[in-house]
Amino acid sequence: MSSELPAANESPLVAAEEHPLAPGEDCWSRIGVMGNGSCAELDKHIHCRNCPVYASAGARLLDRPMPENYRRDWALHFSAPKRQVAPGSVSLLLFRLGGEWLALPTQVFQEVVELRKAHTIPHRRQGALLGIVNVRGELLVAVSLARVLGIEAPKDLPKTARLLVSVWESQRVVFPVDEVYGVHRCDPEQLAEPPSTLAKSGSSYTRSVLHWQNNLVCCLDTELLFPALSQSIA
Amino acid sequence: MLFIQFQIGSDRYALEAKCVVEVIPLLGLKQIPQAPRGVAGLFNYRGEAVPALDLVRLTTGEPAAPRLSTRIIIVRLDINGLGPKLIGVIAENATSTMRRNPQEFVNTGIIPGSAPFLGPVLLDDRGVIQWIQEQKLLPEKLRRQLFTPALTTADAAN
Repeated sequence: MSSELPAANESPLVAAEEHPLAPGEDCWSRIGVMGNGSCAELDKHIHCRNCPVYASAGARLLDRPMPENYRRDWALHFSAPKRQVAPGSVSLLLFRLGGEWLALPTQVFQEVVELRKAHTIPHRRQGALLGIVNVRGELLVAVSLARVLGIEAPKDLPKTARLLVSVWESQRVVFPVDEVYGVHRCDPEQLAEPPSTLAKSGSSYTRSVLHWQNNLVCCLDTELLFPALSQSIA
Repeated sequence: MLFIQFQIGSDRYALEAKCVVEVIPLLGLKQIPQAPRGVAGLFNYRGEAVPALDLVRLTTGEPAAPRLSTRIIIVRLDINGLGPKLIGVIAENATSTMRRNPQEFVNTGIIPGSAPFLGPVLLDDRGVIQWIQEQKLLPEKLRRQLFTPALTTADAAN
């Protein structure tokens, strides 16, 4: 090992001009894990990345001269106050209906399942009720959130469509959505009041709005939405 | 105990990590005309003017090499009567840390003279590592030059 370590008095600057490693010095690609694996040190270190030879070669990559403007750019960077990353204490499940991104607190969901056919109920084909679906052997009521909110969803559900299983006051309701992004954590300060001129559909159920990846996400009010959902079933 | 390892010239040194706030790249410094020896300049660290101490220059007489591995270690010092203050220590090859028992360091028996911050040494298979005592980094005179209780503008004008 010691024979492969760079001598401390070697000037790294000379070698660092173009390529900091001398040809043949990259023992890991000759006898290490990226080569034929014949290095005796591998018994001890298992992988080259645990070997001090590899680590010291990696550290010597930093022995390069500084690029132009390097010092000026870093001086600018450190003259600005440190940006505090807000802790994400609110957990939301983001999903899409038609062209709109919506969010509900993650706690109201039990699971996200594959789309399955709803068994329609005779004489109940109008309104928001879609029918009954089988989720893990249990029959749950499926409603159309799009119809409750008045969002125009495409007739054919896309491949990304999923069923969301929600629980509200020990009542389980299932509704299909066109896409699920997943759980998004954010700081409560990032949730803004909905604009008073919000003319979009579903606005009456919107509690707050969130800017997320160039989209405006409506965070729905569970206190208003779920009673409305149960009403649509009754 | 966690130490930050670095080099001055070809020798290895270590600073206790407890007093280190952050290790930052060697950024552009504002030069101080007729600055005391070893003070490389001032820089703006998140809105605070922090003096940079060039340990390489203090030890070898040459300024630290302008390489990517040369970094500024921001050290928090408790200065009598002024509370905690930050100084930047320019160090070469500040790329690794090590965990060592303080008992492994042995006293050299050499009185360091003009460099009182040089502490006990550790012997390992690559040679000698000397512990730099952060409380003694600034000799009394330099401490007074760098951190005097703020002068009012009227004092400065006189």
